[in-house]
Amino acid sequence: MTVSRRVLLATPALLLARRGHAQARFAGLEVKLGAIVPSSGPFAEWGRTNTVALRMVEEQINAAGGVGGARLSIAIYDDAARPAQAANLVRKLADDDKVLAIAGPLTSSACEVAFPVANQARLVACSQASSKPGTAAANRPWAFRNTIDESVLMKAALPWFKANYNADSVVIIYDAKDANSVALGSRIMPDMLKENGIRLLNEGALATFNTGDIDVSAQVTALKALNPAGVVLAADYSQAVTVLREMRRQGFVKPVIGGTPLISSAILRAAPEIPVVSSATYYAGQQGDKVRRFTETLQPRLRATAGLPPTIEPSMYDAHMVEIVGMYTDAVLRAGITLKPEDLAADREKLRAHLATLSGYEGLSGPIHFAETGDAVKNFFVVVGQNGQWGEKLRGCSTHGSLTC
Amino acid sequence: MISSYASGLLADTGIAFIAALSVHLVLAVGQLSLGNAAFMACGAYVASVLTVEHGVPVHAAIAAGAVVSGLLGVLVGFPALRLRGIYLAMATLGFGEMTRSFFLTLDATGGAAGYSGMQRLSLGAIWAWALPLLVLVLLAERSRLWLAMNAVRDDETAARLVGLDAVALKLGAFGVAAALAGVAGGLFAHWHIFIEPSAFALERSTEMVLAVVLGGSTVALGPLFGAAALVLAPEALRFIADWRLAAFGGLLIAILLVRPQGIIDRRLIQALKP
Repeated sequence: MTVSRRVLLATPALLLARRGHAQARFAGLEVKLGAIVPSSGPFAEWGRTNTVALRMVEEQINAAGGVGGARLSIAIYDDAARPAQAANLVRKLADDDKVLAIAGPLTSSACEVAFPVANQARLVACSQASSKPGTAAANRPWAFRNTIDESVLMKAALPWFKANYNADSVVIIYDAKDANSVALGSRIMPDMLKENGIRLLNEGALATFNTGDIDVSAQVTALKALNPAGVVLAADYSQAVTVLREMRRQGFVKPVIGGTPLISSAILRAAPEIPVVSSATYYAGQQGDKVRRFTETLQPRLRATAGLPPTIEPSMYDAHMVEIVGMYTDAVLRAGITLKPEDLAADREKLRAHLATLSGYEGLSGPIHFAETGDAVKNFFVVVGQNGQWGEKLRGCSTHGSLTC
Repeated sequence: MISSYASGLLADTGIAFIAALSVHLVLAVGQLSLGNAAFMACGAYVASVLTVEHGVPVHAAIAAGAVVSGLLGVLVGFPALRLRGIYLAMATLGFGEMTRSFFLTLDATGGAAGYSGMQRLSLGAIWAWALPLLVLVLLAERSRLWLAMNAVRDDETAARLVGLDAVALKLGAFGVAAALAGVAGGLFAHWHIFIEPSAFALERSTEMVLAVVLGGSTVALGPLFGAAALVLAPEALRFIADWRLAAFGGLLIAILLVRPQGIIDRRLIQALKP
């Protein structure tokens, strides 16, 4: 694959590499990072695109001279989205592979189990996707998430949804087998709907389905009978498409709102005429030179990868992964890290301290900081997926105290 | 000194072994349970609430979780053991899903968000439970009680005709098995220091059964070998990356084709004796 020099130079990680190359103070050394992704199991598509994104960054940085002259090496392991495997992989990366820091795990369930192990090992772990409220905050100071809490995002998305679709009444349907979806569908959303003066038509009898269900016709028929102005759909994209297809089949074309796990090209294909409102910190089609070049560089690689759909687009979590590696390599250059094996524990601590007070780091969609909760303070967008593409409708920042974008 | 990675795998093996041992006991009376993850969940939540909210010492809490799980097992066993074979499997499967849904909606233990706050156990503490339990079951397998259990398994009608109380034997095995699953749950909760309902879904119950089928169901060492295979083989196959789980499935099929009785059985143990 031929990638133009201009495109290559576009990623933030590579810009850091160029700066590091000029200094070349780590020549002959190696920056060892670890990554935990679900390349198998229920979130395999995300895990596999994460792997491609990581290999792309690794290749680009090394082609440009490494991190300050040091070769970048990323050990990528599959946790199959299973918490126990994620925890053991943190141990493996900490003790056997002796990495400087870890990108991942992806799911909140895996983070809940893996973050305490990272804390014990005194090793930074930064999730690319977990957005369950409080997961990083419960595992400070070594746990970070390059994501924004779902409840923060929904506070911006829901008023926009109500105002633009006259959605004064909604119904809720959620995946009862997925912890995040249960939290969003049964706990966060009912309260938030009340705060926003939106009537919940199936209060007390929220509609549910289970991960893997292929027939949700009964649930959708019941929801349609309530004649809501909108639908709250709490599920990840792989399950949400089943509901969207059924809504389309029944002619139940109402605007849908859900969390970040809805952001996927599969959602766009499921029911193009149904507007799907969600929040994202990156989406394929996002405007801006830096982000467009990231998309243009990664997308052909993804589509050329065996096992991934030929129409796949980079996900928000790929962008987060690239940013995490960028932040780590930035720390190598700016935090006084030596990369000497005997200084590994001290280097890990320096990297942690650097992230905790991160400033001046430009992610794909703007600056990134970390709140004391470990969650990212960064730009986000309320987007609508309709007619085959995501469109940005509102821009916000997950401001936390004095930290803002 | 082993690495923390190796110790993590050994801890998972120990917990999976105790969980598999619970299925081994039920199979010994000819029953198949697909709901033992529910008893594991019960033990995990009871032990966790006791240690986190009531300051009960961890091993006492795990024992208490086992007792509660055991009692629940007996309660469930009364109606469930009127069923046999596939019907019992379906009933226990339903019980497992019911229990998972119960914890999913139970706010007191965090519901879907899960429950945390436990102190982590050491690897030694896990095997301090696993090894004595292994010895106990091995001793039980040499007893008349085990012969009676196997008699019920082989032909319940004949066992009744010779005066064996098949109901008591099946109920006892079900209760003790539930208690063992409860121990596994308590250890699981205090090793991973976070539990959520999805950790005790059907997949967990299936793994317990698979460990016994794979390792061998005729001797207590079978669940140990099976649990070790289920935990260690996917790790050993990491070098084949994306094909890891497919290769793992193939390996399981190959093992069962070569050794349909499981990795280890009495005949093999006899053959290995000097």
